[in-house]
Amino acid sequence: MAKSQTKELALEDLWSNNPVFGQVLGICSTLAVTNLVLNTTVMCAALIFTLSFSSMSVSVLRKFTPRNIRMMVETLIIAFYVIIVDVILKAYWPQMSESLGPYVGLIITNCIVMGRCEACANSNPPARAMLDGFFNALGYSFVLLIIATFREVLGMGTFLGFAVPYFSSSYWDKWIIMVMPPGAFFMLAIVVWIFRSIQIASQEKTK
Amino acid sequence: MKRLFPVIYMFVITAALSAVVIGFARFTEKRVQANESLAFEIAVLKVVPDLYDEKLSSMELHKIFTGEVKEPAETTAGAYFVEEDGQIAGYALPIAGQGFWASIRAVVGIKPDKRTVTGFAVYEQRETPGLGAEVAQIAFTEQFKNLKLSADGKPVVFRRPGETLQKSQVHAVTGATQTSTRLEKIINDALAEWRKKVKNN
Repeated sequence: MAKSQTKELALEDLWSNNPVFGQVLGICSTLAVTNLVLNTTVMCAALIFTLSFSSMSVSVLRKFTPRNIRMMVETLIIAFYVIIVDVILKAYWPQMSESLGPYVGLIITNCIVMGRCEACANSNPPARAMLDGFFNALGYSFVLLIIATFREVLGMGTFLGFAVPYFSSSYWDKWIIMVMPPGAFFMLAIVVWIFRSIQIASQEKTK
Repeated sequence: MKRLFPVIYMFVITAALSAVVIGFARFTEKRVQANESLAFEIAVLKVVPDLYDEKLSSMELHKIFTGEVKEPAETTAGAYFVEEDGQIAGYALPIAGQGFWASIRAVVGIKPDKRTVTGFAVYEQRETPGLGAEVAQIAFTEQFKNLKLSADGKPVVFRRPGETLQKSQVHAVTGATQTSTRLEKIINDALAEWRKKVKNN
């Protein structure tokens, strides 16, 4: 695949058609795991792995899969990769598996994965499908990490578990709501608002 | 044939992927089980005096557990125990119950006088990270060290964060009323039950 094409794909998935603030997909896990940066990072890594490989697998099988059962096959492939991630975490990083709880398994129902399989992997060659999956997951991850950073610092006064000066001191009254589910809704709305405003502003400029 | 193809296709894909998953799960099965029992063993070592050292590796901790900690006997009413010169030097009582989201499993260490707590450690919980999950953190659990259980009424009373504590009282976790209330009940029910059983023996 040409280099310029890859760049174009990356730009589209990371910015103009970003899964979170462009397509507003996969919001459930955005809200569920973003109160600690470390948990979010692991969750994002799991998503990057799952999305890249399931897109690739769906694309490899696209010419043989009968159209009427393609969604069943896609779900099966996604579930396969997610279970692999889940088992790896359980066996080699039990503490993390414990704190992510059921959310790793819920990647199966993350609409971004299914969405990319349907929109891209079904009609594109494996290399392009895999890159598309990878960049979409990356676009999703960076937004999640921004949200998680704000939630952890404001809500707990820590970043990756380390105390942040000022925010961890007694001068800062910790915003407990940031750690709770409503905090995720507020942060998501603010992030979508800011990024969309920037997008609109830059579009108007190019006109 | 044309109508059968999707069925056969689905069957083959399912079989192939399942085979890989099952193989992989089998391969890691022992590790997963070992992790689970190790989490429990470490919790026990943390609550009995002088056995836990965070610098030790998992393997060394496992060895200490198998060497020093005795399985529950009838006289200890379900509690694990450690001995010194043939005398019981401390109990480690496993407790469990429903938390806010899922079950909480923990261990309480108790001195032979059955009144003084030597430690408290949570080894399984699914509470909200940053809030309820703080019950597993050292800031919360260290309050139980040398806590004197009250002889009558609730063995331990949880007070609101910031309130002055009296004997047999600990601070609940900020912003996690649900988890705290449930944990208080789990601890008290288990301790009351255990003390009754041990007395009868």
